[in-house]
Amino acid sequence: MGNPTIPIPISYVSGKYLLFSIDAVTYLRREHHICGVLIGTLPQIPQQNVFLGLPLELMPEEARLLVDKGVACIVDENKAHDGMKSLLEEDRRQYLRELESQGLNASRKLSDRKGQQREQVLKKLDEKAKAKAIKALENEGETDTPPTPSPSVLDEERSSSRSSNRTSGHTMAMGVTPTTSYPPLAQPTSSQHLPPPNVPLSYPLFAHLSSRGYFLSPGLRFGCQYVAYPGDPLRFHAHFLCVSAEWDEEIDLMTIVNGGRLGTGVKKGFLLGGPEKPQAEAEAERVESFLALDSRRLSLAAVKHPSGDALPCIL
Amino acid sequence: MEDKDEDAVRGTSVEPTQVETDLSDETQDFRLLSHLNFLTDTSSPGLPKRGEKDFEPNPTQHQADVLSKSREAMHDALAHPRLHNLNTRVIAYYAPNGPAPPPGIDIEDPARFGDKGVGANVHPDSCVYVPNPKGQYFKNMGQSDRWNRVWLLPEEALFLIERGSLDIRWPIEMTAAPDDEGPEELSIPMSLQAAYACFMGRSGLTMERYTVYTGLKRTGYALTRAPGWDDSAQVEGLKDQSQECASQRPLKRGAGLAGILEQLFSWAQDPFSTRSTAAGPVVGCGMHRNYNNIYRQLAMIPWYDPSLAIDRDPLDTTPPFRVVFHAYRPSTPIKKSAWPAPDFRIAVVNTRETASIPTLAQLGALLESTPLDPPNGEKMKRLVYMRLRHGYRNVVMAVVDQGIVSYLRIADAAFGKEKLYETQAASMGNKRNGNFRGKKR
Repeated sequence: MGNPTIPIPISYVSGKYLLFSIDAVTYLRREHHICGVLIGTLPQIPQQNVFLGLPLELMPEEARLLVDKGVACIVDENKAHDGMKSLLEEDRRQYLRELESQGLNASRKLSDRKGQQREQVLKKLDEKAKAKAIKALENEGETDTPPTPSPSVLDEERSSSRSSNRTSGHTMAMGVTPTTSYPPLAQPTSSQHLPPPNVPLSYPLFAHLSSRGYFLSPGLRFGCQYVAYPGDPLRFHAHFLCVSAEWDEEIDLMTIVNGGRLGTGVKKGFLLGGPEKPQAEAEAERVESFLALDSRRLSLAAVKHPSGDALPCIL
Repeated sequence: MEDKDEDAVRGTSVEPTQVETDLSDETQDFRLLSHLNFLTDTSSPGLPKRGEKDFEPNPTQHQADVLSKSREAMHDALAHPRLHNLNTRVIAYYAPNGPAPPPGIDIEDPARFGDKGVGANVHPDSCVYVPNPKGQYFKNMGQSDRWNRVWLLPEEALFLIERGSLDIRWPIEMTAAPDDEGPEELSIPMSLQAAYACFMGRSGLTMERYTVYTGLKRTGYALTRAPGWDDSAQVEGLKDQSQECASQRPLKRGAGLAGILEQLFSWAQDPFSTRSTAAGPVVGCGMHRNYNNIYRQLAMIPWYDPSLAIDRDPLDTTPPFRVVFHAYRPSTPIKKSAWPAPDFRIAVVNTRETASIPTLAQLGALLESTPLDPPNGEKMKRLVYMRLRHGYRNVVMAVVDQGIVSYLRIADAAFGKEKLYETQAASMGNKRNGNFRGKKR
């Protein structure tokens, strides 16, 4: 797991923010708690929806957070790929050679593994035959020995298969579809980067929870804006259903009741939060606990349904 | 590193629930994947089981180890290369300018063979062609032209390259110098990233639509673009007519002659009824011989009969509440030249662009654009709730929130048609004396 070079280029494709580099994906997950959503098909098991692969789709909020932190930059991938037209002949040949060696590597590995498997199977067969022969020897006095394959035949078979294996080991290189286009394309310079993404009004809540170490993912599946995980979603269940509201926004009581009920239903707390207004106005109307976030403040209210066994959720 | 304290803390792991859950509902632990050896081992397919997760992070080494193993497994799974065996690989070429005849061939009369002279079947939005199509994937994808090349739509090409089944090359004239030897050796393979950059956003393919497309393709459905694919397409001249019909729609009676007769009979049966209930009691005074009459008079709320609604042109709807995909079950036999009637009609909605649920008018238009599909069959006849759930028209709405899809099936249920008092009357038995309360079973 190598570390990617900073800033990590985020591909801007048709209005979405995508990541194609596996190193970038693991790095951002580990260091910045950015999970995104995997949307691609895993080539090794393509017929299921439980485990998905690259690319990774980032919410605009996630992309913005990374750009604001200076960890990432936005690249217009469509424009960057115009560079394919002006690829130098030399680079092109080198790239093709590189792909070929990758393919060669892969096919060698594959045939190696096949050889190992074959050996194992042969070994098993061998043992079986030996056991049979021993048994037959033991029973010799009573019955006629059934014809068993002589060890020499087996050995012959094995050696022939081995030699054929050796020859097939030097096969042609397999075709490779690379995941990213860098190389052969050169990384775009900073003047070619796009401006930071536009984000919805709920961004302060997102940024705040993220700064508190939560892992956030899109939340419509649970009827909210973000689902907050206390740790990596690979290993932990979510704790909160988060909904953002403006400071002066009137919230229907039913929304809160519904949210609390919904949260109880899925064993999560319902969390309501929004950026506090600039100090002077806001002094009088603090509701619950508040936490500093730049010059603005966030107020978070966690709702628990009285009848349910929701998680303890006072922040 | 492990000690007694750790064991105590570790006890908080969440017990695995026995409840049936959809595995794709949450992020799964990739460690479950890692024991399967995909490069060679095809003998252990089948989906891995739901993993066990912890309640919250604690500072134990054990948890850190498990997490780092999970991440490693995820890294390995995602880093798996897309390889093409030389014997089975399918090579395709990207055609940025859409369908075109092979180089060097001149079309005498382009008009005779449809768009740009490649054949009438080829969709003009296609942008990848396979010169030598083999394998199972072209059974329900792509269209072949006069030279036996199969042309793929952007979503089809992207799906195939992503699952590692297609080796797409950059167009030779775009990347190679003119003095090259063999085209196949020197064309550059397209990366997955390049494929996304080139195909996404092409001819109305949004990330949401593609997410829905691949999600269903992966589980075996066949999909085609529906006529409503193009958001900007509008129907001309049909608007007024449909509005007229809409105003006529709220009818209280059943269909056709039978409905008229029914009304006539109910009037004849009950001449004293005070139909205008503004002043008097809802159920007028008079002789009430059976309950059905009373119930009929109590039914004051007008309802609409979905089976009477007129069909609407699929384009006479507001995007995104418009059918963009036709989906077919894996069992449905498919002929690419003449697609059968779809099993599902799917509209795709992006939550970031459409923040609210559709209005009744939008939803009504969407439903009316689908054909009438009344609840038929032996089971439907028997079970009233199944009938209600099936409805008279239905459509699947795929709501995509940043790559996560929720599917909603929306049906036009006819509650007014299910007169419970009529179906229940038989089972309640004879109640001439009106004292059915005393009959307890």
